[in-house]
Amino acid sequence: MLKRIAISLTILIGLAVPAAAQIEISSPGQQLIPLALTEFLPLDENVRPEIAAELHEVLEGDLDFSGLFDMVDPEAFLSDADKIGLISIDVAFDQWRLLGAEVLIKGAYSIRGEELVVEARLFDVNRNRLSAGRRYVGRLTDLRRMGHAFADQVLEALTGFEGPFNSSIAYVSDRTGNKEIYITDSDGHNDLRLTDHRSIALNPDFSSDGSEIVFTSFKEGNPDLYRKQLASGVEKRISSRKGLNVTARFRPGEEEIALTLSQSGNTEIYMIEAGGRMINRLTSSWGIDINPTFSPDGDRFAFMSDRQGNPHIFIAEIGDESARRITRNGKYNATPAWNPRLDLIAFSRLENGLFDIYTIRPDGSEERRLTFGSGNKEHPRWSPDGRFIVYSSDADGKRGIYMMRLDGTGVRKISSSGNCQHPAWSPRR
Amino acid sequence: MKKMNVMRFVLLVTLASLLTIGCAKKPAPTPQPTKAPATEPLKQTDSGMQETDVEGAGSYTVSDLTRVHFDFDSYVLTSATRKTLAQNAEVMKAIPGLKVRIEGHCDERGSDEYNLALGERRAQAAMNYMTTLGVSSSRMSTISYGEEKPLDPGHAEMAWAKNRRAEFVAK
Repeated sequence: MLKRIAISLTILIGLAVPAAAQIEISSPGQQLIPLALTEFLPLDENVRPEIAAELHEVLEGDLDFSGLFDMVDPEAFLSDADKIGLISIDVAFDQWRLLGAEVLIKGAYSIRGEELVVEARLFDVNRNRLSAGRRYVGRLTDLRRMGHAFADQVLEALTGFEGPFNSSIAYVSDRTGNKEIYITDSDGHNDLRLTDHRSIALNPDFSSDGSEIVFTSFKEGNPDLYRKQLASGVEKRISSRKGLNVTARFRPGEEEIALTLSQSGNTEIYMIEAGGRMINRLTSSWGIDINPTFSPDGDRFAFMSDRQGNPHIFIAEIGDESARRITRNGKYNATPAWNPRLDLIAFSRLENGLFDIYTIRPDGSEERRLTFGSGNKEHPRWSPDGRFIVYSSDADGKRGIYMMRLDGTGVRKISSSGNCQHPAWSPRR
Repeated sequence: MKKMNVMRFVLLVTLASLLTIGCAKKPAPTPQPTKAPATEPLKQTDSGMQETDVEGAGSYTVSDLTRVHFDFDSYVLTSATRKTLAQNAEVMKAIPGLKVRIEGHCDERGSDEYNLALGERRAQAAMNYMTTLGVSSSRMSTISYGEEKPLDPGHAEMAWAKNRRAEFVAK
């Protein structure tokens, strides 16, 4: 798996059309786009229905989760669905218009030994033309990645922002009996354990390029901060200061990490170099300051503090120890996560004994509750495109990793076994 | 006088170890020599031994160190907690070579990270109080496990109350 991450997925042709050609959505935000997703067809005599089926499953899962589409029933497909049509003149658009489809996905594959080639196309049915086209060349084991990558391109072609699905989720699970760090694809496939600390590992976060994670572990007794390269597996303890070394977050685009230390006897947030050397202290109060999360430009950070009594979410600028409280409601607001693209901060609130997830604007306006019902929903983290949230929930009894759209809809579970918590969504691969 | 102390000391050590066999958990009240049964071992130790450097000296043993409990989302030392800490301080004074690690713990409610900080504050509060009672801070260290190591895995107040605690672990 670690090697697999390093395998480069060659994109030989990028046929994406410029943004000006994006499909117009007649009433944005409301109307779903009718999408016809056809089975990918073999380019030669090497027919592998399971390859087509898995690509279909990946694409359908991602596109359905996006919440943008209304899938046209495949039972209704006409003869054009059985024909390879990789250029627009080969597509019988009339047939698809008849079915009410506005966008159409067609594709083909070929396999030589372990090598897999996938051709994928997105067509604008109303304009009889190609909206996005990709050829993926890789190994058979890259199949699902190719599907996720094309789903991301479909979202880019239709919305102007690339989807987040060709990515990973890191999280904590106790399925071995100890809390270890795991990594899995954005849809829960290809699950892999990353650590073997046989202790308590917590709170992973990805570096800006996705090649590394940091996390806290009690491996050597104290809750220290570790940094691990995903491709090589090389791991190093980078902060073992006295007391807590917890809730580390990479600063966007920088080789810097914000983390919570208690070396002074008080719990404060600090900035350190990615190698571990101290840069400076970011907060100063008598209370507990913890859980930093950076604004997209990395100039500000939100965090949790009980400096005014109850735990609330605050925002501060780097280099300015004064902080502004943004949550006014509730008595226990925790684990903020700043959206990487939109002006939103997700957090969890403890009320009547249960955590639920909310979003709020950085100026404290437009607070919105996203989760309801039984169980604790905690630790929200954003997808790299800011449209989705991964979080933990114990609504099923055991704690698991779930995802939803930023409006709280589309909930799906991705973790498999054990108690799972502390998810983090990687950048796109 | 000095010899007297040594004898008394050896006698108490033996008594205390006998007493703690049966009730290792609950801290025994200071053993009263008069109430203790005069058994064989007493006579044996009585017979002119000069040994003085004994670990677990005085009227306490390491197992007399007692965990303390806290209210929800609080590291305030209640009067009951202070009383127990005062006893723990006496244990520390009675056993000069003893070093302890004070472990702060929380119940499962609240955020995991905040509870790591809260657990540390509980451990520090216990340590600071014992320092004011005359125990050198060099003999104590703190660590927080937050809500990671519950004593009772239950999900109700009974379990939570047990889990909000500071433990004293001899090093």
